[in-house]
Amino acid sequence: MSISPSSGDRSAQVPHQDSHLEPNDEGNQKPSDIKIDTGDSWQRLATIAIFYFTVRNIKNMAQGLIYAVPALAISFNQASSSFNTYLYAGGAGLVILMAVSGLISFFMYRFRVHNQHVEIHSGVFSRKYTNLPFWRIQNVKIESPFYYRPFGYTLVVLDTAGSASEEANIVAVPKQYAQELRRQVLEQYKSADTTAFADTEDEALCEEHLESTNDEVVLNRRSVGDIVIHGITNNRVWIILGAAAPFYDDVFAFISDWLADKGLQLNQLVGEQTVLWWQMGLYAFVMLMILMSLVALLSVGGALLTFYGYTLSRHQDRYIRRSGLLNKQEVSMRASRIQMISAKQDWLDKVLKRVNLYFEQNTSAGKQVQELMSPNRMIVPSVTEDEALLLSREVMPGSNLKRSDYIPINKRFMLHWTALIAVLPFIVVCSLAAWVNDPMLALIAGGVACLSIALVTLRWWRWGMAYDGQYLYVRRGRIGVDYLCFEPYKLQQVVKKQSWFMRRRKLASVKFVLASGSVTVPFLPEAYVNSLVNKVLFDVESTRKSWM
Amino acid sequence: MVDTDTQTEPFSNRVIALDTLPTFEGGALEAISPRYRVINVSLSVAITLILVAIFTLIRWQPLVDVPSPLLLSYPYACMVVAVLGGLGALYHVFADVKIKYALREQDLCLQKGLIFRQLACQPILRVQHVETKRGPLTRLAGLASLQVFSAGGEYHTFEIPGLPVARAEQLRQFILNHKDVSAK
Repeated sequence: MSISPSSGDRSAQVPHQDSHLEPNDEGNQKPSDIKIDTGDSWQRLATIAIFYFTVRNIKNMAQGLIYAVPALAISFNQASSSFNTYLYAGGAGLVILMAVSGLISFFMYRFRVHNQHVEIHSGVFSRKYTNLPFWRIQNVKIESPFYYRPFGYTLVVLDTAGSASEEANIVAVPKQYAQELRRQVLEQYKSADTTAFADTEDEALCEEHLESTNDEVVLNRRSVGDIVIHGITNNRVWIILGAAAPFYDDVFAFISDWLADKGLQLNQLVGEQTVLWWQMGLYAFVMLMILMSLVALLSVGGALLTFYGYTLSRHQDRYIRRSGLLNKQEVSMRASRIQMISAKQDWLDKVLKRVNLYFEQNTSAGKQVQELMSPNRMIVPSVTEDEALLLSREVMPGSNLKRSDYIPINKRFMLHWTALIAVLPFIVVCSLAAWVNDPMLALIAGGVACLSIALVTLRWWRWGMAYDGQYLYVRRGRIGVDYLCFEPYKLQQVVKKQSWFMRRRKLASVKFVLASGSVTVPFLPEAYVNSLVNKVLFDVESTRKSWM
Repeated sequence: MVDTDTQTEPFSNRVIALDTLPTFEGGALEAISPRYRVINVSLSVAITLILVAIFTLIRWQPLVDVPSPLLLSYPYACMVVAVLGGLGALYHVFADVKIKYALREQDLCLQKGLIFRQLACQPILRVQHVETKRGPLTRLAGLASLQVFSAGGEYHTFEIPGLPVARAEQLRQFILNHKDVSAK
């Protein structure tokens, strides 16, 4: 590696006067005056990166120390005051240590963008060298933590198709530089695609001509109200829970104190035998309500953290999503990468007439966790039903999710699953109950069986599929409903499944394997499945369009 | 958006007879090697026997006193293992002959399953890479399995087991030479 003495701050070369710009204005800029290629010389990050490294180190340490928290808390409570001052001093020392390590990390970090490669040297004890060619970068995510924002800096996350450990972060670069880098990387993709797949060439060129003059179009914005609704209908508690993990003990102590203030004393409740059952029930109910509203509140907070200021926009052939309160994130996805649209409606969403819309990209191997901010799955949170239809038409023109011609699955689906998950366990538990002579057990088993029959019936009622010659649609769900829509030519594999019984009844299940996952529709007429599989295979093999 | 030569060239996807690979002829699903069943059945039997042998060894060895509940459970344990092993062997006897495959111009098909029969179709256009896999036993029997990977993920790897090595190589080469795969 050659670290030239001339390597200075990026900010010296690229003035960061863009901090006052709105995020959506970037499409209007003429970015050509920004040089991406840093030449042979290695670059150091902007000074603000020290802060980032410090925060990251503290975060890592806090995660490591979670298990030590109870022990620390106990020693903190029991120790004498003189010991406590040591503890404070120790804490302060740790923070200083982290700051110093942040400084060292900053000095050990160097990067360069050269000849269509991003190269990064990083790490203090274990040095790491990352060399990422532009064409291997799948997604470019731009994040701006709140302490970066006043200075106009961003964190660029370069995502490869491979494992999570292969991703590279350029920790602090000016926003304009980040946007230009992203533009060039995505541009690179386009040119790579046009040379690799001759069939997409015309399309890409056409789009270039049509849209190069157009600027970014905002397709959807979410107001704070929408996000609050999203927080209530979708449990986003874990966003807060994850962040607050180090403080659990304090929080629980606080809650029990607060409950005691309100006259609810758990210890007394359990201790006294004389409490009437309805009083007990009332207490339990009140507790449940308090807990539920607390969860809802936390969930709304979590939703606001991730989705505050949500915008979805389209720029040329890609969709860009921006959101976040403390950490503003920007994820972009090429339109052609979208494998499937899914519109999901839970029961609460149904009441409020809202839909969560997902644009699903390929799930690369090793990344099984479907995180919210994942670029593999772009979410439009809690849109209205009309907006969902409009947006799905924007991504897949001519599609209609809420169609009336869904072919329902056969009633034998109910029969099959009722026998399997309701009747069979019921018989087993009942015979067990007869053995131990416990009628209560049989009663409970009966209740559970009824419930599962109801759920199976709902599942059967919802499940169906449709094909309009261009798109395949699947409707499914139990209490909520999901609508899925995908283009047959993007399929990776088709599987037809039949049990011995289904074969006799001329029924079959069909599984469509897409790069974003598989979709199964069971108990369809066999003739329909056969013709569908043939049509779909013909679509894939005759159009020979790329799935990416 | 559609390649110009696919428009002029009529679409075809006939079944390719495997014995005369380059020439296309009508044909149906082809069975995999019968040795695959032999391997699986003997493997089930061998595992059962080994487990029973281990139990017996523990039961009759003079070194350590085995607790009496364990002594009592010995015949039951042997019975359970024998029944499971027997069922496994029986399953392979009937299921392995049901595994059949076909290579067509544009895709690979695989049919398998005794009670749940499934027919999977993998368009060659979507193949990302191909592997032949050989375990120690299959190597002994001169067999290999062909694994075809697509972007559908590892759970949906298309695998044809129990192919004679030459056939597996032949199929692999056919896929690699396929214009849709070699174009990338």
